[in-house]
Amino acid sequence: MAMAALRREGRRFAPLISPRPITAVRSSPIVPTHEYEGPIGVRHISTQVVRNRMKSVKNIQKITKAMKMVAASKLRAVQTKAENSRGLWQPFTALLGDLPSVDVKKNVVVTISSDKGLCGGINSTSVKISKGIYKLNSGPEKETKYVILGEKAKAQLIRDSKKDIELIITELQKNPLSYTQVSVLADEILKNVEYDALRIVFNKFHSVVSFVPTVSTVLSPEIVERESESGGKLGELDSYEVEGGETKGEILQNLAEFQFSCVMFNAVLENACSEQGARMSAMDSSSRNAGDMLDRLTLTYNRTRQASITTELIEIISGASALEG
Amino acid sequence: MTLNLCVLTPNRIVWDSEVKEIILSTNSGQIGVLPNHASIATAVDIGILRIRLNNQWLTMALMGSFARIGNNEITILVNDAEKGSDIDPQEAQQALEIAEANLRKAEGKRQTIEENLALRRARTRVEAINAIL
Repeated sequence: MAMAALRREGRRFAPLISPRPITAVRSSPIVPTHEYEGPIGVRHISTQVVRNRMKSVKNIQKITKAMKMVAASKLRAVQTKAENSRGLWQPFTALLGDLPSVDVKKNVVVTISSDKGLCGGINSTSVKISKGIYKLNSGPEKETKYVILGEKAKAQLIRDSKKDIELIITELQKNPLSYTQVSVLADEILKNVEYDALRIVFNKFHSVVSFVPTVSTVLSPEIVERESESGGKLGELDSYEVEGGETKGEILQNLAEFQFSCVMFNAVLENACSEQGARMSAMDSSSRNAGDMLDRLTLTYNRTRQASITTELIEIISGASALEG
Repeated sequence: MTLNLCVLTPNRIVWDSEVKEIILSTNSGQIGVLPNHASIATAVDIGILRIRLNNQWLTMALMGSFARIGNNEITILVNDAEKGSDIDPQEAQQALEIAEANLRKAEGKRQTIEENLALRRARTRVEAINAIL
């Protein structure tokens, strides 16, 4: 806006510009210098404009610094929870195995993303991987559906895969994450979606600077039976006697549901950690960029200030020498 | 020969060390596990888990889920678990009374089932305290 006003002013003064622009434009030390075209075509911006720009950049820097600190404190809170929940799904993997390469007819991709933005590229990587899985598993007799958690993935996937989306769940993080909440969610998904294999896509939190997109696979009980009979990793499952309940199938069903809700709980927590970590590093780099910009603007400001002082002096001196001579 | 016992809930690890013997209650009755037990995977009911360490029995109230026993390693995954020593007797007794009252007031099938579960949970907690004494 300031630039547009200056351009208008420049047009007003254009007719006054002569081959010796120094005498054409009179300015006093109090009023900021107006825009004018020098003989070499150099544009001089007034100090007011530069000062305004510096003020806004400084404010932005303060905001991003504050956001970084908020993200750091939120990260600390979620990190302990995520680490405690990691031990939960490991026995399942030991018992049932995590087989991403299993070949099934009905795949459901559960994409976990954040609701808020400004968190770097983690949501885009999750969506990219979900789309990749979709492509891998498409073919005759095979179908893939999406279940989306979080606003950001919803925005990206709704554009081109609208017909394949089964469920969308947003605003997960309004209340602090708890296992009961996630198990209710898992229940909803299991009730409404037919599946042979569930692939959960999320960002695993390795450290504050490294978030690795991962896929966890949970198989439905029928597929587990089929795979365990054919041997391989799940073949060990048969060596376990299954007790407690009417039939083996019922137990396996309960087990699969419990596994799904545990894995989802861990995935949601890890994604929340990754989101906060990514936001920390994004805000950190924007604060640093704002700092660089401020340095450059300070230099410009000083140059402009000195240029206007020089102009003043030259006017005074030339005026004085004109009077004498 | 000792068993390595791991009791995990979604929020934290409740127990992770070696024990001599455990007794846990499943849907089809109580089972005792000694070292070199056969490998089994079983569903765990809402009930008490008894742990024996050097001739001393400890109790823990478990709120249901799964147990896997194999190679002298026991992994129990539960929705919630509380050590008997961590439960406050007064509070557990009160919770039991409230649950009983709610059950009597419950209407409709769903509420009855929910109150039933709450009652069983409260009863387990009270039993966990009494069993130590």
